[in-house]
Amino acid sequence: MSKDERKDSSKVSELAIKYASFYGGKVEIAPKVPVRDLSDFSVWYTPGVAAVSSAIYKDKSLSFEYTGRRNTIAIITDGSRVLGLGNIGPEAATPVMEGKSLIFKFLGGIDAIPLSIGVHKIDEIIQFVKALEPAFAGINLEDISSPKCFEILDVLRKSLDIPVWHDDQQGTAGVTLAGLINALKLTGRSLNGTQIVLYGAGAANIATARLLIVAGCDPGDIILLDSKGILHPERDDIDELSVKHKTKYDLAIKTNGNRKSGGLSEALNGADVLIAASHPGPSAFDKDLILTMNKEPIVFLLANPVPELWPSEAEQNGAKVVATGRSDFPNQVNNSLLFPAIFRGVLDVRARAITDEMVIAASEEIAKFAEESGLSSTHILPTMLDLEVYARVASKVGEKAIELGLARKNLSTDELRLTASRIIKRSRKFMSSMIENKLIEIPEGS
Amino acid sequence: MAKSVYVIRKADVDDIRGISELLVRLKKLNGEFDPMFKVVSNVIEKAESYARETMGSDKDIVLVAKVEKKIVGLIKAVLKDRRFYEPVIQGIIVDLYVLPENRRGKLGEDLLNSMMNALKQRGVEIVTAEFPTQNTLAINFYQKQGFRALVSTFAKTFPNDLILKKSDY
Repeated sequence: MSKDERKDSSKVSELAIKYASFYGGKVEIAPKVPVRDLSDFSVWYTPGVAAVSSAIYKDKSLSFEYTGRRNTIAIITDGSRVLGLGNIGPEAATPVMEGKSLIFKFLGGIDAIPLSIGVHKIDEIIQFVKALEPAFAGINLEDISSPKCFEILDVLRKSLDIPVWHDDQQGTAGVTLAGLINALKLTGRSLNGTQIVLYGAGAANIATARLLIVAGCDPGDIILLDSKGILHPERDDIDELSVKHKTKYDLAIKTNGNRKSGGLSEALNGADVLIAASHPGPSAFDKDLILTMNKEPIVFLLANPVPELWPSEAEQNGAKVVATGRSDFPNQVNNSLLFPAIFRGVLDVRARAITDEMVIAASEEIAKFAEESGLSSTHILPTMLDLEVYARVASKVGEKAIELGLARKNLSTDELRLTASRIIKRSRKFMSSMIENKLIEIPEGS
Repeated sequence: MAKSVYVIRKADVDDIRGISELLVRLKKLNGEFDPMFKVVSNVIEKAESYARETMGSDKDIVLVAKVEKKIVGLIKAVLKDRRFYEPVIQGIIVDLYVLPENRRGKLGEDLLNSMMNALKQRGVEIVTAEFPTQNTLAINFYQKQGFRALVSTFAKTFPNDLILKKSDY
């Protein structure tokens, strides 16, 4: 099948099933040391390996130096909220985790082990991840349902000495912030003083609200809406939220300084920015509501596979900048711009955590990268084809980790950039070489 | 948001409506911790009559915290004699609620301290507090204020398919 056919959404499902069967998954473990004959195993395995183990026993930090831990992370899911498919369980989540692993390798040069686990309670997931720490340099939580994902991330971030990331929260929030930085520039605004409405209070928008506050937004200028309307402290279900969804409760207290109540129409009246991450459209809400926003509004329509409104509808109603989650429209808010680079950066300096400040540094670099090739209402973000963005963002993340005292390894800015670039290029070369040598086969007729 | 200044004082009949609203919130909140605290359908009506009864009882003390004219927190205690134990005169805090927006300060603590004072003046020597067992926020709050667990309440409802035997009692 041609490249065009592979982009045709009606064909990709058919192809995905066909290739899943052909390849039996998307990633495998490949050796990185030469085995010329069996005598090499005396070095790679016993008796030689005992010396390496003894050295690590004396100094555990050497596990980053002497093993693949330095470049290996775990992708953890319980399959409780997979894509738009919902709670499909760990087995069915595995193809998605393998896809994620492939992106980690191709764009970030990272060995990401997909682990779909058969436990679902918060404490069980936390215990499982804690037990993995000695073998991994980072944890990527994936497709874990809300609200448990918030507590799991918050607890693990505090208790582990390696970075923990939940892409559905931080990844989306980070790329949204990157796009917003440039959209604000285009419309002559700044984060401070801009009225922002977040429509939908799932993992992505809650994380976006939290990140925007750390990035400099006045919490009072943010309005968050869930399925019951605008969040505010007087809402009837506020006590229920305090028990069942502490993160949302916290935002209900902090945000919405003018104490607006009601629905999207009340929220958008006088707003500068709408970030919708609610439910698939089209017509998820009345397009005329865009008309009630301030002049030259910024509208992010992030629901997949169909945005809340078609971008043209938002533009016709005055939106100056429109972004979506889709690659076939301009300004795709795509997590893949961020997570490979974030992890490349933290792995290169062996960071102990990924803080919000590091995410913001990454967002700013993504925004800067796009700006360098000219900002316009249809160009506020790079695309996955801008391969240079990953090493650049990684180096900024590494720099920030060093600045915050969270790095186990100090590298200069140049070293950071070169290291990231070298590892990512090697990964792509490895892929090309595997294809050229027919170790990765291309099915007949493809 | 600017921090609001509140005043704590003894409740009076003019506060009944405001107290009722907070009581409804409190009772619904209890239901979040345990289904055995599911509120009755006419909870608003019940809360209002409960508030009225409280105003007329010399065994009940209710304090309210107000920001301007709005009640933002309440605490209620009931006086009781402990028949078999010393100290004898007990004050039981049965309701304590603060509106979410006013929770981040020390209002809960101030309400409790004000109530402790009021109870002391009524000769109370031991103060206890009742709340759902699963309410970890309340557990942490009272522990921080020097309280410790004293009595456990266990609960069981009758199964729907229970076959009644003839009782001699």
